[in-house]
Amino acid sequence: MADKRKEIAKREDSNIAKETAKKVRTLVPPVDIYEDNEKIVLLADMPGVSKDGLDIQIEKNVLSINGKIENIVPEDAKPIYVEFGGNEYARSFTIGPEVDVNRIQANLNAGVLKLILPKAEEVKPKKIEVKVA
Amino acid sequence: MLWFDLADPIWNEFDKMQKEIEELFDLTAPLSNIRSVARGSFPLINIGETPENVIVYILAPGIDPSKIDLTIEKNLLTIGVERDTTKDIGDNVSIDGYHRRERISGKFKRIISLPETIDPNNVKAEYKNGIIIVTIGKKEEEKSKKIKVAIE
Repeated sequence: MADKRKEIAKREDSNIAKETAKKVRTLVPPVDIYEDNEKIVLLADMPGVSKDGLDIQIEKNVLSINGKIENIVPEDAKPIYVEFGGNEYARSFTIGPEVDVNRIQANLNAGVLKLILPKAEEVKPKKIEVKVA
Repeated sequence: MLWFDLADPIWNEFDKMQKEIEELFDLTAPLSNIRSVARGSFPLINIGETPENVIVYILAPGIDPSKIDLTIEKNLLTIGVERDTTKDIGDNVSIDGYHRRERISGKFKRIISLPETIDPNNVKAEYKNGIIIVTIGKKEEEKSKKIKVAIE
């Protein structure tokens, strides 16, 4: 019994060690957001991310951008001067119902993600009645 | 004795802790490279070293490759980049259409000092996913050689 417990503790230890070894450092990409009558444009600086590492999702009214940074550093390299670090980018935004989620366009070029969020053709004006008691 | 002996391990620990806290909140002026930049500057640079090469990684997303100016002289690497973030949106961009403008626009130049061991005649550079990777070879005599020491 005691042996078994020890074994479990050991296994947990090794799991913790594995997790710390693969520690994820998430960076918040700087963004530009621009809006005109037809669309909202979102630009995000995500250097180091390739098309395969990019994941864009819309769930209900939340737009999530996630990008994994490709490892380009050779294994035998040692750092001698460091200004940045991290292995992924993540940022989320809430969007309104006026965005036509089926027509969203995404484009990744030289580490910059460009998302075009078109507005729905018919954005029905909603009239709010104010009742005076 | 006028003061606690700092060689005492306990006081050493306190001293270390104090230093760590000060560093964490930037209470002391830290010792930094004369060419180092503030956080969030553009472009950011990392330098690594392998037995054969010194590799410089420059985070420069969204740059037209023709607007990248790289020069190396002795052991100084100069990087000049230019970007106009309004062009990424399109033509006829009016400033009042912005909700957020966090991406840096402008013309930048950075100079970094590389180890003396580099060979300035052996340089190659590529631009991949918004990162400029400059690989500079080391002088032949500086390449680290493994020396086997015989143990008697």
